[in-house]
Amino acid sequence: MAALAPDVVPRGAGIDLGGRGIPHAAAFDAGPTRFRRFFRSLELWLPVGILTFIVLVCFLWPVIHTIPAAINGNLLDANLPLFTHSSLYGNHILGTDTLGNDVMSEVLYGGRTSMEVGLGVAVIGFGIGGTLGVIAGYMGGVLEAIVMRILDMFLAFPALVIAITIVTYLGQSELHVIWAIAFFAIPAYARLARATTLRIKDQTFIVASRLSGASDKRILFRHIAPNVAPQLLTFSFLGIGVYIIVEATLSFLGYGLPSNIPSWGKMIANGQIFLSTTPQLVLVPSACLFILIISLNLTSDALRARWGAQ
Amino acid sequence: MLTRLSRSPSVRIIGKRVLQAIPVLIGVTLITFCLLNLLPGGTCLSILGVGATRPAVHACDIRLGLDHPFFVRYWNWAFAALHGNFGASLTSGQPVSQILRLRFPVSLELVVYAFIMSVVLSVPVAVLAARKPHGIIDRISIATSMFGLSLPGFVFGLLLILVFAVHLRIFPAVGFQPISAGIFSNIKSLTLPAATLAFALFCAYTRLLRADMVDQIAGEDYIVTARAKGVKYWQILIRHALRNSMFGLITLIGLNLSMLIGGTVLVEQIFGLPGMGQQLLQAVGYRDVIVVQAIVSIIALAVVATALVTDLLYAVLDPRIRYGRPSS
Repeated sequence: MAALAPDVVPRGAGIDLGGRGIPHAAAFDAGPTRFRRFFRSLELWLPVGILTFIVLVCFLWPVIHTIPAAINGNLLDANLPLFTHSSLYGNHILGTDTLGNDVMSEVLYGGRTSMEVGLGVAVIGFGIGGTLGVIAGYMGGVLEAIVMRILDMFLAFPALVIAITIVTYLGQSELHVIWAIAFFAIPAYARLARATTLRIKDQTFIVASRLSGASDKRILFRHIAPNVAPQLLTFSFLGIGVYIIVEATLSFLGYGLPSNIPSWGKMIANGQIFLSTTPQLVLVPSACLFILIISLNLTSDALRARWGAQ
Repeated sequence: MLTRLSRSPSVRIIGKRVLQAIPVLIGVTLITFCLLNLLPGGTCLSILGVGATRPAVHACDIRLGLDHPFFVRYWNWAFAALHGNFGASLTSGQPVSQILRLRFPVSLELVVYAFIMSVVLSVPVAVLAARKPHGIIDRISIATSMFGLSLPGFVFGLLLILVFAVHLRIFPAVGFQPISAGIFSNIKSLTLPAATLAFALFCAYTRLLRADMVDQIAGEDYIVTARAKGVKYWQILIRHALRNSMFGLITLIGLNLSMLIGGTVLVEQIFGLPGMGQQLLQAVGYRDVIVVQAIVSIIALAVVATALVTDLLYAVLDPRIRYGRPSS
């Protein structure tokens, strides 16, 4: 948690992308003991461990262990309580929902969907937005002005509103949801990539490589891109969390994924009418969503502290 | 008089910012127009149904003016919209301006209430947290911020309903009481929705303000000077650190505005408030392009206008911006 504070920068934050040339050593109190060092490394590895666990369980568990289908449940099996283990109804660790679907399977497959959407959006944003931002920042001039003004306009839209509109008009599908959210990821990535490029562009090593005759292409690919990428990567963890929330929100409102794809947002939406009688239908997917997103946020924070990036 | 006014730096900066907002507004409405018109699933087809004959669709296109080229349509729409005429709803036939007059105040009240709640709560919490970095209040505030930033808005809303409406029965779960039904019940019906919106903002604001203030106290020379002069710690915190940290807060507020305004769509749906967001969701469902276009434009206008206000607030707070070079 302490990594949230800019005043506690862990040892090893040596890669100073800010280029101010001032080592962060001044911010240290007495040299960290082995115990404290262990704790600080835990700030990164604990959320990363949880993330890995979630990914493995969601993607591998249904492959190596047979679980009931997450959709088309039998109404006769509806509303089974937690930890149902009987020869008549089968095994349902987390019980079943009002339609007879196994909650555990829905959670696992819903997690897959969430991560697919989050990752898909981040890849599109990273690729298109990052490229646009780096080129705009490096080239400067009219091109930069035009690209950035257009992207700024997209940021003035409330993302949710436009995403709902796009998905409804294109038709509900996982790919359309990804593109609708990417619509807003691209400007965010572009802004960050541009800001980072502007900061790097005038540093000595770029000037040196230009003086030694390196082409624009070489400078962009060999010098600027490797320095921008870690920043975008750190942002991606934060971003994926946001995109997963947007996807869940869209599905919650009924304007997101189609009904044959399980999603945590949809589980929560379906369970909310039964909030007072069977709160676990809402609480289980909510808890999963929360744990996934807080791990992403904590990872992003720890990486930011470690890489000394803003 | 006029020349004196035009020479005033404040007037010049306001004029410049207002002029800069105009192309953004044109761009935003143009993008909305593009989206709604170019996406598949034609308006007339959705009004008439899938089985519509081609002549019927064509007649409908002419009736709605959809047979004109794109830019002519945009121009016609923008011209009418500037005069406050957004057309009539395709489903109910009601003029959109009339719908907006009913819906807008509800959303506005919700947004303002949530905004006030988030700022009024986050500033004292951030000051208390920054007073003693790594103290108990600081740690609690950091953990709360992390918690709030990781919890989707609708989950928090449902938790609030579960606790305060279902179990404690303090606030109503859904529904809206207009001001005419009494200011107290009006505020009571908006408290849970506003809290849902405000919580995420509160967490973001607290986190930023606290980090900024801790930074200032740790590293800025004027803080050291003030301390050396023997100024009380509270005074340093509030009159020096907080004042300078407000810039970061205002920037974040400006950046989060679209989140706040867009969040009303979700919150109005959960709590059944008859605001613009709820109307928008309905209109999207019915493919009522005219209403969607009007509401999205109004929302974008609100975002641009409030961004303008935050921009101007900088100039009010920082004389360097007010008296800076005109081109900056």
